[in-house]
Amino acid sequence: MGTSMVSRNQHFKPPGFALRFLRFFCNPELLEDVEGDLVELFEERSRSSKVKANVRFLVDVLLLLRPGIIKNFEINTQLIHTGMLRNFILIAWRNALKHKGYTFINLFGLVIGLAASITIMLWVEDELAMDSFHEKEARTYQVWRNMYQTSGEIVTTPGIPQPLEFVLEEEYPEIEDVTLISWQMEKVFQIGDNSSYEIGRYVSPEFFQVFSYPILLGDQNSMMSDISNVVISKRTAEKYFGTNWRQKALGQTIRIEDRKDFMVSGVFENVPKRSSLQFDWVIPAEEYISRNDWVPSWYNGGFGIVFSLKDNKDLLQVTERLEQEINKHTNYENDERIMLQKFSETHLYSKIENGQPSGGRIEYVRILIVIAIFLVVIACVNFMSLATARAGRRLKEIGVRKVMGARKVSLGQQFYIEAFMLSGVAVLFSLAVVWLFLPYFNELTGKSLSLNVSNIQVLGTIILLTLITGMMAGSYPALLLPSFKIIQSIKGTLKHSPGAILMRRGLVVFQFSISLLLIIGTLVVNNQMNYVLNKNLGLDKENLLYVSLDGALFEKSKTYKEELLKIPEVKNVTTTTGNPLDYGRSTSGASWDGKNPNDVVEINVLTAGDDLIETLGIELLQGRAFSKEFNDSTSYLINEVAARIMGYENPVGGNLNVWGQKGKIIGVINDFPMASLYEPIEPLIVRYDPANTFVAFIRTQGNTYEALKSIEELTAQINPAHPFRYKFLDEQYEANYKSEMTLNSLTRIFAGISIVISCLGLLGLASYTASQRSKEIGIRKVHGASMLHLIYLLSKEYGRLMIVAFVLAVPIGYYYMNQWLMDFEFRTELNWFLFVIAGIVAFVVGALTVSLRSYQAATVNPVDVLKDE
Amino acid sequence: MSKNSIGEFEEIVMLTVAVLYNDAYGITIKKEIEERLKRKVSVGAMRTALNRLEKKGFLSSEFGEATAVRGGKRKRYFKVTPYGKTALESVMETRKQLWDSIPDVAFDFKFS
Repeated sequence: MGTSMVSRNQHFKPPGFALRFLRFFCNPELLEDVEGDLVELFEERSRSSKVKANVRFLVDVLLLLRPGIIKNFEINTQLIHTGMLRNFILIAWRNALKHKGYTFINLFGLVIGLAASITIMLWVEDELAMDSFHEKEARTYQVWRNMYQTSGEIVTTPGIPQPLEFVLEEEYPEIEDVTLISWQMEKVFQIGDNSSYEIGRYVSPEFFQVFSYPILLGDQNSMMSDISNVVISKRTAEKYFGTNWRQKALGQTIRIEDRKDFMVSGVFENVPKRSSLQFDWVIPAEEYISRNDWVPSWYNGGFGIVFSLKDNKDLLQVTERLEQEINKHTNYENDERIMLQKFSETHLYSKIENGQPSGGRIEYVRILIVIAIFLVVIACVNFMSLATARAGRRLKEIGVRKVMGARKVSLGQQFYIEAFMLSGVAVLFSLAVVWLFLPYFNELTGKSLSLNVSNIQVLGTIILLTLITGMMAGSYPALLLPSFKIIQSIKGTLKHSPGAILMRRGLVVFQFSISLLLIIGTLVVNNQMNYVLNKNLGLDKENLLYVSLDGALFEKSKTYKEELLKIPEVKNVTTTTGNPLDYGRSTSGASWDGKNPNDVVEINVLTAGDDLIETLGIELLQGRAFSKEFNDSTSYLINEVAARIMGYENPVGGNLNVWGQKGKIIGVINDFPMASLYEPIEPLIVRYDPANTFVAFIRTQGNTYEALKSIEELTAQINPAHPFRYKFLDEQYEANYKSEMTLNSLTRIFAGISIVISCLGLLGLASYTASQRSKEIGIRKVHGASMLHLIYLLSKEYGRLMIVAFVLAVPIGYYYMNQWLMDFEFRTELNWFLFVIAGIVAFVVGALTVSLRSYQAATVNPVDVLKDE
Repeated sequence: MSKNSIGEFEEIVMLTVAVLYNDAYGITIKKEIEERLKRKVSVGAMRTALNRLEKKGFLSSEFGEATAVRGGKRKRYFKVTPYGKTALESVMETRKQLWDSIPDVAFDFKFS
């Protein structure tokens, strides 16, 4: 019977959901036998009727829902706390509405602080991501050439002897692919009547293996195999072949520089802005080398070289062997060593000092990160100090909550929740602000940043930012406010502990120190940039434009010059081998009397035509200029630095041998900077060879517009194949300082923002003081205190704090700005005057804020504040 | 006594547990009460009472051995503790005293 019962019972099981429900709510201690009892009953009942048993089972389970049986859910309720949470949010909301002014100050400060920081973070992210899209980014290296000078200096150049390419390919099994990369060039593309300048580079066929520029058309392996191939960007293809370029582009002929026809063998995707190499075409380097027999030499550097290492190969081994590779092939004639740098770091660590990368753009990235952090912090400081100051208004609430049994922890939670809510709202607003202002910021910085919230990284950062802001802003009030005594709280009299007062003062000092630092920074950068841009360079860069002698202009340069001079607005014309303010053609192959043959001295060599000195506005210090009346093919001009290096007592008439041409120095010209003002002025030799110059410099007078119009007409007439292009020397010069200019405008904006945020905080604190001391003010007024006296009384504390902030900010600012300036060879002095201005600006703005609020407090009718006690 | 007073239902449960002696677990107690008092008792009500009595120390309990009949769940057997017995006795004593104190005439309904 027993066995048959068991087997039968297995067919009748109590309803599972009821059992699960029972297990869910029943106290685990009781569960086992309660469940057993129910099952036993069920089995018994189901013998008569299964349906009835089921129903009765369910009823029994429901009847078990009573206090003695239900398990203790207390642990869970503590975690969830939904009721309390709702209450906190409601109270926070009501408080925000009740004190609209404070809420606004808090929110506004946070919003602009956060918006500025988010914008900076986007910029920083973009900078750091430069060139990171290349698949082999982690093992792609740029080759540098360090030239050790006898003076002890190391001149570093990316121009590498081209034969090194073969050495790398053949003797280094660790290396996967090597590519030559020429400097960025502009060439005229011609298809039928359609012609314009396009930028691009000469590269090796392996270029597309080393870098990840997607190929849209053409065969990656063969498209660079012929020296008459050209591979163009999608943008260029669309420009010349229309929207259905995919069908038409391949195999088409483009005439380049009106010299040779090239066949389009491939199209690549437009180069992203996050690529430091920008180009719309590439042509096999072989094409360039075949026309320039100076390139395949161990003594010249015509190309940059970039290579990718094989996976899992150690760079160190390569570095060691590679270092002396040039010396090995030149018999150590000049000490030239190879240095390697990760390609993706060349953008940010572009400054190379003593043969090693030493910062560069990364410094600006760091400065801006620090500014971003500062801005968020000072906005949070506002929140903190306002929340503590406002505590007076929340005292009764805190007291009542405590009487009702709120623990410190839950009061703390309340203030955290308020802070998180506010920071959340602020972040949302600031995202809107960023979205609105990003186009202007892009214009300012020349970037194409976008706020892509769907990007996990961006979203994560924003959420993190919200949390950090909430934590920073909420921590102090959350820890401080709940610790007030109940009696004090309910009475509404609040004596801040000395610690709290000190803290609040500290926060004000901190805010103003940062604002002062930013103002000082702005003034110094601004000053230096003014100096750089307006410095008397020793060369008159105003009203000077230059035209590249392309195509027919080169052959007819003499006619061109003569015709140019007939234009009334043209004053002088000369031709050279390049822009003298940004010049990089140099030699170590010059010799003079008394030079130690073993010495290596790198000297710039500029080749020029007639009228150089008049046109460029430089000064002839000794001797004479080039002249048609003499045969000047072996005459040289040198600058003062070169004269010093050569050491001639009387340079004019001294022997000078350049590139094997023995000649005489005929004059000394003044120094002008040929690189940036970060560098000392380099020595210069000027040769006379009008037939071998490529750039015409034209000095205009009178109406520039008229001048340009006439010059354009003339140029088009002589050289119809090329579109007319010109540049102004001063604009080009300014373009060299683009990142400094950007830094300049950015610091100006951010300094403004920081002082606004700080003043908002100050405004809040001044209100606090005023309300704290309202009775005192009332009594003083009744006793006849004057308005001015009261304002002074209320403001003097903040005045003192600002003086402390000034004292703190000055040495820090002095130290860092001095360091920044030290990078410039040519710099302004750090003027004490700038610090005073910064101090006065901050002080006046701060004092205005405080006294405005103090004035308001001082004008209150004493009856209003004294009527109740 | 005031602190650990016993309600009527509790008293019945305890007495039933004592009656059942070695076989007092949920179902038997329930059935016994239902049989003797002629009234329905829910598992919930009874469990709560048992639980409360055990907390007060009037009952003690221990698990029996697992059986296949109850879905593998063990039975919890209850016993009245000496303290429980005292409590029951004091209830009875009180009642008895009360009964004894009732004047004879009170229940003599002849003259009413």
